[in-house]
Parts: sequence; C-alpha cells; structure tokens
Amino acid sequence: MAVAIAALWVVDIALAIAVFALARQIGVLYERVAPMGALMLDEGPKVGERAPSFKLDALDGSTVGIGQPSQHGELVFFVSPTCPVCKKLIPVLRSIAHAERDWLRVILASDGDEARQRAFYEKAGLADFPYVLSTELGMTFKVAKLPYAVLLDESGTVRAKGLINSREQLESLFTAKELGVESIQQYLQKA
Amino acid sequence: MPLDPVIQHVACALLAIVFASAAWHKLRDLLAFELALDAYALLPSPLVRPFAWTLPLLESLAAVTLVLTPTRTAGGVLAIALLALVTGAVVVNLLRGRTDVGCGCGGIEDEQTLSWALVARNALLALGGLAAFAPTSPRALTWLDHVSVAGGALALFLVVALANQLIANQPRLARLRVRTA
Repeated sequence: MAVAIAALWVVDIALAIAVFALARQIGVLYERVAPMGALMLDEGPKVGERAPSFKLDALDGSTVGIGQPSQHGELVFFVSPTCPVCKKLIPVLRSIAHAERDWLRVILASDGDEARQRAFYEKAGLADFPYVLSTELGMTFKVAKLPYAVLLDESGTVRAKGLINSREQLESLFTAKELGVESIQQYLQKA
Repeated sequence: MPLDPVIQHVACALLAIVFASAAWHKLRDLLAFELALDAYALLPSPLVRPFAWTLPLLESLAAVTLVLTPTRTAGGVLAIALLALVTGAVVVNLLRGRTDVGCGCGGIEDEQTLSWALVARNALLALGGLAAFAPTSPRALTWLDHVSVAGGALALFLVVALANQLIANQPRLARLRVRTA
C-alpha cells in the first residue's frame, strides 16, 4: 500500500512535468508560427512618401538625423521600457544592424521620463544604438502600439513600417522594401 | 469538519514555494521588476523603487512563515494580504482596459500580460491560503504522510506553472486567430 502510494506520486509528478513541457512547447510554436509580415496600421506617413525629417539629441549626447537624405537608410524602432516584447527583440535588432551595416542605421526611439529611460538604456545594454526621446516623433509616425518599426531608405522615403512582434516580422520589412510592396500582407493578398 | 493535517501542509507548502519563487525572480532582476511595476501606473514615481524592494522581501517572509508550523497563521494572513494587493493592482489595470501591460510576476510568467485568468489563478491560491487557518484533526503523521506532502506540493506547483504557461500562451493564440480570420 505504502509503496503503491509513493509510486503514484512519482507517476503523478512525471505526468505534471510532461504536460508542463508540452504547454511550453506549444507556447514556442505559437510564437514561431506568428503570421509572416508586420501588421501595418494604416496611419502616419504612407509607404512611398517622404518622411518628415527630424534632428534629435540621442541619450549619448550625439545628434541623430531622421528622414534626411543621406548615405544610409534608417530603421527607426519605437520601444519603451515597459514593453515586454521590446526587450526580447533587442538581440534581433543587434544582428540586423550588423547584417545591414553597409547601408542601414538602427535608431531606437521612445518618449517619457528620462531617468527611467536611462535606466532601461543602461540595463538593456543599448549603447550600440542611438536612442532618442521624442514624443513628436512617435506622434508624427502615429505609433499606437509597441514595438513599432519604420524603415526609411537613403532618400528619407518610407519603405516599410509596422507593428513588430518577432524576428520574422522585422525581416518582413526588409523583404517588403526589396519587393517594392507596401507590406508583405498586401503582397500575399495580391498573389 | 476539521481538515486532515496533510491537506494543510500541502496547501501551505505549495503557497510557500509559489511565494519563494516569485520573490527569487524579482530579487534576481529588480530593475526589470521596477520597470514592470511602473507600467502598472499605480504608484507615484518616487515610491516605485521602495515598493519594488519591499514586495519581494514580504513574499520571502510569507514563504518562511508558512512553512514553519508556529507562525503558520501569521503566514496565511500575510499570504492572502499579498495576493489581494497584487490582484487588486491587476484588476485596476484590467478595468482601465490595459491588457497589454506585462505581468512582471517574474519567472515563467514573465511573458504573461494582464488578464482575468491571472485574477482567477490568484483567487485559487488565496483559497489555499485559507487552509492555514482551518482547524486540523490531531493525528500523528507517518512517513507516508510526509511523502504525500512533498509529492502533493510539488505536483501542485507544477500545475501552477502549467497554468502560468497556458495564460502566457493565450495572447499569442489570440493573435494567430485574428490574423487568419
């Protein structure tokens, strides 16, 4: 009897571990099969239009130009210290910044309390990126949900934009630019 | 009807593990917790930091007092009070319609966003906390009872972790459903 009960506990715990592991794997799957292509909110400067240009001070003291014709394109990535997905995408941004370094600069943008932003900036190790604080920038691009990205080409024209939740969605912005379509969703709908 | 002591031991041990793991995850990354707390938009900025330090300490205290039999009643009170406090914070934000705030609960729950499921989970945990006050039938525990307490607490903690994972999965599934519709 005692042995039987002890054995049942062992089986019980083993099953609980198995179900937990399955749920965890399903969670990973959900994340991986998230829809291709960033969800585009049809507001703010349209794809193909010139973006309004900005000259902003970054947290590290440098001056950052956004939307001005230059040697390189810009990926403006809107984040906030309070957005859980943003933190997860920082390594992805780092690898994209490296892979596209010939023509692209990655700029992080946010707004709000500077002390808290600085704490986040240091904690998350964001010193590699220019980090600008500007409410006006977010308003201009009509950023409603985070993380949000806007891809500008060398002439300061908006080439792609959207709400970003995964690496695939971030990459879809670049695919959209290469294919010359507004968004991958639009491309898939036409096909 | 008095409760069997094994039930009480299991309930208290379970809550102690839940609180200990919550406290551990917060203390390990206090800044992340501070930022999460700030996102709840309930406390004025100067109070966020002291509160972020205090909460995990109180959680650790609850874990310890729940395990030790003489302080169990006090542990139960503290546990239920803490659950009420954090659940209240979640409910206020849910009523404000802010469901995209990170839970900040730490650990596996890190990817959870606010939802009523969290409220239900905490309510169930608080129900377990009530067991700390229940009168128990006096009976000597055998070694098999100790096995049952350990097994029961561990199995239930895994169930809590499973619930957390499912709650974290929920918004991702919801996103998939919207896009394919």
